[in-house]
Amino acid sequence: MKSSKLVAITLSSVLILGGCGTTVERVDAGTTVDLSGAWNDTDSQLTARTMVEDALSRPWFKKHMQATGKAPTVIVGKIKNLSHEHINTQTFIADIERELINSGDVEFVADATARKEIREERGDQDLNATEETRSAMGQEIGADYMMQGKINTIIDVDGTDQVRFYQVDLELISMKDNRKVWIGQQKIKKLVENSKMRK
Amino acid sequence: MLMSLTKGRSTLLPSFISYRSFLVLALLLLSGCSVTHKKVNQLSQSLNTNSPEAVLTQLQTIKPKEKDRPLFNLNIGTLQFLSQDYPSAITSLTLAKEEMAVLYATSITENIGAATVNETMRSYSGTPSDLVMVHNLLALSYLFNNDPDSARVEILQADIMMKKLIKKDSNSGQLASAHLISAVIYELLDEQDNALISYKFAAELMQARGTPLTNDIKLALTRLSKELGILDQFDQYKSEFGISDEQIEKLTAKNSSALYFIHFDGVVTSKKEVSIMVPSYHDNRNDQLIRIAMPSYPNVVRNIGNATIDVGEQDIRTSEIENVNTIAREDLDAEYPAILLATTSRAVLKYDAVKNAEKKDPLAGFIMNVATVLSESADVRSWNMLPASIQYAYVSTGEDNVAIRARRLAKRKIALNPGSKHVILTSSISDKLFHYQQEKSIY
Repeated sequence: MKSSKLVAITLSSVLILGGCGTTVERVDAGTTVDLSGAWNDTDSQLTARTMVEDALSRPWFKKHMQATGKAPTVIVGKIKNLSHEHINTQTFIADIERELINSGDVEFVADATARKEIREERGDQDLNATEETRSAMGQEIGADYMMQGKINTIIDVDGTDQVRFYQVDLELISMKDNRKVWIGQQKIKKLVENSKMRK
Repeated sequence: MLMSLTKGRSTLLPSFISYRSFLVLALLLLSGCSVTHKKVNQLSQSLNTNSPEAVLTQLQTIKPKEKDRPLFNLNIGTLQFLSQDYPSAITSLTLAKEEMAVLYATSITENIGAATVNETMRSYSGTPSDLVMVHNLLALSYLFNNDPDSARVEILQADIMMKKLIKKDSNSGQLASAHLISAVIYELLDEQDNALISYKFAAELMQARGTPLTNDIKLALTRLSKELGILDQFDQYKSEFGISDEQIEKLTAKNSSALYFIHFDGVVTSKKEVSIMVPSYHDNRNDQLIRIAMPSYPNVVRNIGNATIDVGEQDIRTSEIENVNTIAREDLDAEYPAILLATTSRAVLKYDAVKNAEKKDPLAGFIMNVATVLSESADVRSWNMLPASIQYAYVSTGEDNVAIRARRLAKRKIALNPGSKHVILTSSISDKLFHYQQEKSIY
């Protein structure tokens, strides 16, 4: 091939391939979109749903109902990210909370940060709100159980290909006596094949 | 010499251009081609006298080309880290990390550009060391931003990257400093088993590169093997390193405070261009000029400095864990055969292009020759705001305070609570002290 032709091809390739701009397409929030293979909203929602369903179908729930005659009150504590990815565990906690509340099977209480803010507001009501509308102090419901957990990963890498194995471990601990009444585990395995070539 | 080589060439040039003026023009334009890279290289060397904050301000005035953006973000992120602007450093370095990940794949168009014009037509995708070092700086940025969990994520990513880059016959992309920082973060998170493995990897790499194993690493290996109850290994390290029972007792004493002290010394050397321009002879007459340019690291004699930590009556100095100049040269050496092959292939291609153009029209041939000579330049881009040396010292003490000293840092005291763990970082080019104190988790 003549050199001048090669130069012409180079210039054309750069112009054609370089012309592709950014495009944005709105997609339904429920659509599964895997771009990088990293932990995403679909993983978070599916894991939360599966694990909460599993937790509420286990014997501890029936035992609690039989012993107390009322639905258990649950709080979600810390979920530690021990994975190799920067995972926003707050969104995963929010997904778990949503599944627990929407199940209608358990009572749910606010976490420590939210409680602090509410107490401040209640303190303010004590001073400023009318007697009829004021929420009194000392009427909070204490949680019976706390859900805690961690997200772990194992990565196997070969060149541009990766196998990503995620393991989410959650446990429900009795506040009264530290008994673990339920342990759940959810595993996700992804094969990520990255392109060896780009434009 | 160049002039003598090109005597007689003037007969080929159009009458309105003298050969001398052609050379002057060519050299002038050549010097202008890589002005941005040279400016960045000058800024990096100015860190020896100017503060990181001042250099950051100057660097931010430069508008990088799209293909240099990952490198620009690496340098900006490093200076933001040294200026203790951790959120900005995290943003810049994360961007660089993501850009380099995308650029890891081979580009078709950039390769064609590099094969026909020069090596700088490729986007800066990072050397193997860059791909790991970015996690080091991100881990430290997160840590000093009081987020050890995110720092842990970065050291895991560094580990994956090093596994990805591993080669049988080379240590390219394998950083002792990455393993050391991993070990420190694991210790802060009370994961002593993982910390021991990381110290072992750091020691193996130091030995593989001929860096003397520092006393602090020896003590860490011995201390952790004892704490974890791996007694056969503990006995082996104790005798191999000549560590006394008294030293071990002192290191593992309850209520002692632990200080993991990292020191960045100097600034890594920038690449330089080495080029030759020779006339080719074709059909028994002077035909055209051929220019070949290669990147290289100049030989620089560097005085290694240290930082000091005063503990009671004792002065403890940091020792080198990683010579960043050495690993930068290792990366270039590994890449050199490919660069040389590409450069010579390109010279042949350019020679053919000029010859073909000259056949049609001597003036077109001349213009093409000027273009091929001017476009030939070495890729001297490198992450050059990094320290030249990464050093470390470990202190376990019952004292209630220690004092830190470094080149630009006036003596600074740090109060210690019994049993507390601290990470301290100093840099010879900064007057700042970087300090993280472990927060005990309530869980």
